[in-house]
Amino acid sequence: MAYSDIAAFFPILLKGAVVTVQITLGALLLSTFLGLLLALMKRSPFAPISALASTFINVIRGLPIIVQLFYIYFVIPELGIDLSAFQASIIGLGIAYSAYQAENFRAGIEAVDAGQIEAAKSIGMKSALIMRRVVLPQAVRIALPPYGNTAVMILKDSSLASTITVAEMTRAGQLIAASTFQNTTVYTMVALMYLALSLPLIFGVNRLERFFAKSRQGADQ
Amino acid sequence: MIAIDHIHKAFGATQVLKGVSLDVAAGEVVCLIGPSGSGKSTVLRCINGLESYDSGAITIHGQTVDVRRSDIHRLRTRVGMVFQRFNLFPHRTVLENVMEGPIFVKGEPRTDARRHAQELLEKVGLAEKQAAYPTQLSGGQQQRVAIARALAMRPEAILFDEPTSALDPELVGDVLTVMRDLATEGMTMVVVTHEMSFAKEVADRVCFLYGGQIVEEGPASRVLSEPQNARTQDFLRRVLNH
Ligand SMILES: Nc1ncnc2c1ncn2[C@@H]1O[C@H](COP(=O)(O)OP(=O)(O)OP(=O)(O)O)[C@@H](O)[C@H]1O
Ligand SMILES: [Mg+2]
Repeated sequence: MAYSDIAAFFPILLKGAVVTVQITLGALLLSTFLGLLLALMKRSPFAPISALASTFINVIRGLPIIVQLFYIYFVIPELGIDLSAFQASIIGLGIAYSAYQAENFRAGIEAVDAGQIEAAKSIGMKSALIMRRVVLPQAVRIALPPYGNTAVMILKDSSLASTITVAEMTRAGQLIAASTFQNTTVYTMVALMYLALSLPLIFGVNRLERFFAKSRQGADQ
Repeated sequence: MIAIDHIHKAFGATQVLKGVSLDVAAGEVVCLIGPSGSGKSTVLRCINGLESYDSGAITIHGQTVDVRRSDIHRLRTRVGMVFQRFNLFPHRTVLENVMEGPIFVKGEPRTDARRHAQELLEKVGLAEKQAAYPTQLSGGQQQRVAIARALAMRPEAILFDEPTSALDPELVGDVLTVMRDLATEGMTMVVVTHEMSFAKEVADRVCFLYGGQIVEEGPASRVLSEPQNARTQDFLRRVLNH
């Protein structure tokens, strides 16, 4: 493991890391938006809407993420929609994780029991105020730790983008390894760089969980 | 001040209230008793518009209670409610629970709301618990906070829906004491309860609800000691032998 190798590989891997972070953030954003939409659709009193959301969620959960990526990257262009590999990876991961996000959000909203909402009404609060002061603060606390876990999973699964030629960190590592045969050095570096990204997130989630557990809360009694 | 005039209410095909009429004067304490499913909670929930009614009329000081009208929120600030399961906001401290309505609904300055909330907590015997979260309290303490939260809105009347039914027996007394004090101070109260001794001691009037109708009502001592209606007699026999 020569220092000169490390110094030579690092900038290339760092470029890949930037792409990894971009994909992760893009997919996180998309999955958040779609997940919220699905969660609200699932709560809709209009049966076809909630059924549509449930079906979508089940189909997505039943498919390997890599197959979803292939589908979006190879099949969608045949319909005449041009997507770069980078765009396809964000859309694919975003959709794949929207199903999990929807469950997170739904659990958060539903954990606020109807009794509290009635109590809020009984002191004259209007629905917007109830959302802001009673439902959302609790829903966010409940949904935040799973949200952080989802972010970690998206970060790791962004490596799947390498299979559709996106030059993120894993792919960058593969390319270096293939041309230099320095497998140990390259993949150790790749692993360490993933940990550098994921461990702070994981510690953050743990802290959040402990913090919320302390000021707990939860159903009465 | 509360006038209920012949209200009917159905949930789907089930007729739950069949012409309930009840007038509550200012300062009066009325206890609603009756078997499970007779419609006691529904009557209370109609009074502050948590539930709509199909026909008849409810007025508070002459102002009609109508869920669909925009003044329903203001009306609710005038009639407080205490629930069987307390329903405190678990993410806020005891003090914040009590201050929530005055600050965010009435727009009271924070310092005033805090002072008033602390007075109320003192009154229900929980001054030293103001920084605690609801889950750190016993059920009886939570219920007294819920009463303070209702009082913080300076309501003209308070509705109690089985306020002690979810409590361990040894915690019931403290809650009833607070309610008794309120009654003595002249608070208008409608109380759904199975605590017959409380009803006998505190209520000005007792109404027995059966199958969505008030089948017997009168002074507490008479209804509870010498019930005329066979259903009331039967109900009281079962409750008292419990
Ligand atoms: N939201 C609802 N939807 C359908 N039916 C309801 C609803 N709320 C109450 N009911 C029905 O209305 C009837 C009266 O209910 P209510 O809660 O007023 O009774 P109650 O006298 O308070 O009983 P309990 O002593 O058990 O609290 C019951 O048969 C109940 O099943
Ligand atoms: Mg009831």
